[in-house]
Amino acid sequence: MRVAEADVGRTAAAPTIAAGPQDSAPVIVSKNLTVGYELHRERQRLTALRDISLTVNRGEFVVLVGPSGCGKTTFINAISGLVKPWEGSIEVNGRPVTGPGPDRAMVFQDYALMPWRTVESNIRMPFEMQKLGLSQKEMDERVRRYIDLVDLTGFENSFPYELSGGMKQRVGIARALVSEPDILLADEPFAAIDAMTREAMQSELERFVTNTRQTVVFITHSIDEAVTLGDRVVVISYRPGRIKEIVNVNLPRPRFDYDVKMLPEYGELRDHIWRLVKDEALQTARGAK
Amino acid sequence: MATMAPSEPARIVKTEWSMREFWKRYGSWFVTVANLTIFFVVWELFARSGAISPLFLPPASSMFEALWTGLTTTSPPGSVISGSIRDHLFYSLGNLSLGLFLACLIGIPAGLLMGGNRYIETVLSPYVWALASLPRIALVPLFILFLGFTVKMQVTIIVLSAVFPIIINAWAGVKTTEKSLLAAAKVFGASRRELYTKVVLPYTLPFIISGVQQGIGRGLIGVIIAEIFGGSKGLGYLIQRAADTFNSALMYAVLFLLVVVSLTLIQLTRWLEAYVAPWRRIDRL
Repeated sequence: MRVAEADVGRTAAAPTIAAGPQDSAPVIVSKNLTVGYELHRERQRLTALRDISLTVNRGEFVVLVGPSGCGKTTFINAISGLVKPWEGSIEVNGRPVTGPGPDRAMVFQDYALMPWRTVESNIRMPFEMQKLGLSQKEMDERVRRYIDLVDLTGFENSFPYELSGGMKQRVGIARALVSEPDILLADEPFAAIDAMTREAMQSELERFVTNTRQTVVFITHSIDEAVTLGDRVVVISYRPGRIKEIVNVNLPRPRFDYDVKMLPEYGELRDHIWRLVKDEALQTARGAK
Repeated sequence: MATMAPSEPARIVKTEWSMREFWKRYGSWFVTVANLTIFFVVWELFARSGAISPLFLPPASSMFEALWTGLTTTSPPGSVISGSIRDHLFYSLGNLSLGLFLACLIGIPAGLLMGGNRYIETVLSPYVWALASLPRIALVPLFILFLGFTVKMQVTIIVLSAVFPIIINAWAGVKTTEKSLLAAAKVFGASRRELYTKVVLPYTLPFIISGVQQGIGRGLIGVIIAEIFGGSKGLGYLIQRAADTFNSALMYAVLFLLVVVSLTLIQLTRWLEAYVAPWRRIDRL
C-alpha cells in the first residue's frame, strides 16, 4: 500500500508513532452485551457472548483473540448490526446500533467478493448501496485512489477468480475503506493467506492505520498477529465468550519498522497471552463441548 | 508489491509451437474425427457383410443418404403427410421452443419464489417433488384424453417435462446463495430488494442456466414421446412411421439427427453459462 498518497483524503494527520487509546473519545461502547443465535430447528438459544463490556476509542486498534467458537465473530457482527443484542447494549458514536451503516465496514475471512463483479465494480459496490452524498466524480476518484492504495492498478477489470488469495483480500480491504468508515471491522482477514503475504499485508495495514488514525476491531487466531497489530488485545474465553483479560500493548509504531519482534517485551506479551488462552485452546483442540 | 522496474526483461516471452504442444492442444479433435470415421466405416462394412439384415441395420451410407434427401427436399404443397425430414424437424423444433419458453416463463419465477419465501416453498414443494418424480410418460394418456391429438397436448407434455429441472435448479440456487456474500451486501448497506437483485439473482443465474440445460434434454424426450403416442407430424411421428414401413435408413437418419440437435442445444447452453458465469468454469467436463 502506498500510504503517503493514501492519507491525502483523510482528515486526521497523525504522528508516525502512536500507541494506546490516546484520543479517548469513545467510538464503540458495549455494555453488558449478551448475544447469540436462535437455533429454530432444535428450539434452542445458543449464547455466544455473555456480559461483554468494552469501550473502543477513536484511532484505537483493538484485537480480539480466543479459541474457535468463542463468539469473536458474533461481537463483530453485533457492532456491524448484523445481529441484535439480547441483553445489554452496544453503541457506535453514541447511538445504539440498529443495523448496518456507512460508518462501519467489514473485511471478511473468505473475502466475500461478488464473483460476477470485476475488481473495480466490487470496490464500487458500497457506493451503489449507501447514500453518502458524493458526486459521481468524487466516487470515481475514490475508487481509483483505493485501487491504487492496495496496489491493484492494472487489475481493475479482472474478476476475483483470476486473482490470488492475497490480491482478493486487497480488494476486500479496498471495498471496506472506500466509503472511509469510522470503524473498520476485520474478521480474520489474513487467516487464509500464505504466511509471507500475510506478514506483508499486516505491515501495510498497520502503516495505513497508523497514518489515518483508523479505528479497527480485528479478530485473529494468531497471537503474533494480535501483538504486532493491536494497541489492546482482548482475550475472550470459550463458549459462552466472556472477556478474560485486556492486555495493553505499548510497543512503538510502525511495529514492522521497529522490528518489535526482537524486543523482550514482545516475547513477554506473547507468552502472557498464550498462557491466557492455552487451557481453552487445548480444550477446544480435544473437541470438548 | 512494487511495480516492475522498466529495465527488467519482459516476463512474458512468446515461444515457438512444438509438435508436442500442438498435439496437446488440438490432438483431441483429431482423435475424435478419426474415432467417428472409423466408427462409421466399421458400421458400413459390418452392414454390407450381410451378417445382419439391412432391415435392422442399414449401411451408414444409406442413413446419410436418407438424411441428405430428407433435409434438402420438402413435400409438395397439399400432400397429407410429409415424407421430408425437414418439415418434421421444423415442426418438432417449433414445439420444443414454445414448450421450453413456457417452461422458463413458469419455472424461473416459481423456483425463485420458492427459494425466497418459506411459505410458498412449504405450499408448493410437495407438488413439485411429486410431479418431478412421476415419470412424465405416465401422464400422456391423461393429456390425450383431455386435449386430444393436438399441438396443445404435445406442448403441455414438453412443458411438464422441462419445467421441473428449471424450478428445482432456480430454487436450489436461491437457497444455496453464499451466506458471506449476503452478509457482505448487508454490511455495505444493501436493502432487502438489493439483496435479491444484486446478490441472489446473479448468484442464481448459472443455476437457472443448468436447469434450462437439463430442461432441454427432458423437453426433447417430451417432444418425441408426445409425437410417438399421438400425432401426425414431427420427428417422433417420423420414427414411428419409418418403423411401420420398414424404412430403417430413415429411422436411423432421424435418430442421428436427434443426437445432433440435442448436442447442439446443450452445447449452446454451456457456452451461455461459460459466458455469463466464467467463475464456474473450473472443474467442468
